[in-house]
Amino acid sequence: MEESPADLAASEFSCLYAENSRAIYYLALRFLGDPQKAEDATHDVFLKAFRKLDQFRGEASLRTWLYRIAINHCQNLRQGWHDRHVFSNADDAVWENTAARTDSPLRVLEIKELGQRIQKTLDGLPDEYRLLLLLVADEELSYEQVGALVGQSPDAVRGKLHRARKTFAALFEKTA
Amino acid sequence: MKQQTKLSEEQQSRQVGTEQQTQQSAARDFTNAEEMLRYDAAHTTVPPGIAQRLQKSTGDLPGPKTAWWKRLFGGTQP
Repeated sequence: MEESPADLAASEFSCLYAENSRAIYYLALRFLGDPQKAEDATHDVFLKAFRKLDQFRGEASLRTWLYRIAINHCQNLRQGWHDRHVFSNADDAVWENTAARTDSPLRVLEIKELGQRIQKTLDGLPDEYRLLLLLVADEELSYEQVGALVGQSPDAVRGKLHRARKTFAALFEKTA
Repeated sequence: MKQQTKLSEEQQSRQVGTEQQTQQSAARDFTNAEEMLRYDAAHTTVPPGIAQRLQKSTGDLPGPKTAWWKRLFGGTQP
């Protein structure tokens, strides 16, 4: 028996979800810092994607398209409580000047402490750095694609990534 | 009976001790932030509730007017 177009769309959507849900959930989780909010956001992002699938023009990869929806969604959510969570750019300079062993490996002793320390570190980063690191961590994205998502050139992404890594490492050591 | 229970508790305790040791000895070094985030992402479980909620939410909606795969593959394959 042939599948109806609706069934077909549903099964293709299932594949889309299976292939991308971890990436989107992880971005939402670490960007928002709250598992319940991340769960709601992931649901909303995929629902939005389902509604707009026929508008997808194939100019970007599906992963990039989903990330764009997720970033907009998470940034809107954060808008209201931005001030409570993030250090200002002025604080950023303090972290960058911290005498941290940023060229040494980042070490964790227990796997379970990792998530908590990462979250604490990301919470202390400026939004721009946090998003950049989360996107660059996805090996499926090129610097060009990351650049397109954050509105920067690939060269600018590379430059900022260097600063983001340094700040992350300095902050991470302080969470020990 | 009590002895059996105690034995079982001791066994459990030993087991937990071994698990803790294994966890503690699993120290990991990461060369940069992305590597650490990649590892963290790989060990993050997507809550199954999301898929269930989505199934419910999308079930009430009409499917996309044009199948997205037709746009991608020109209608040559589903």
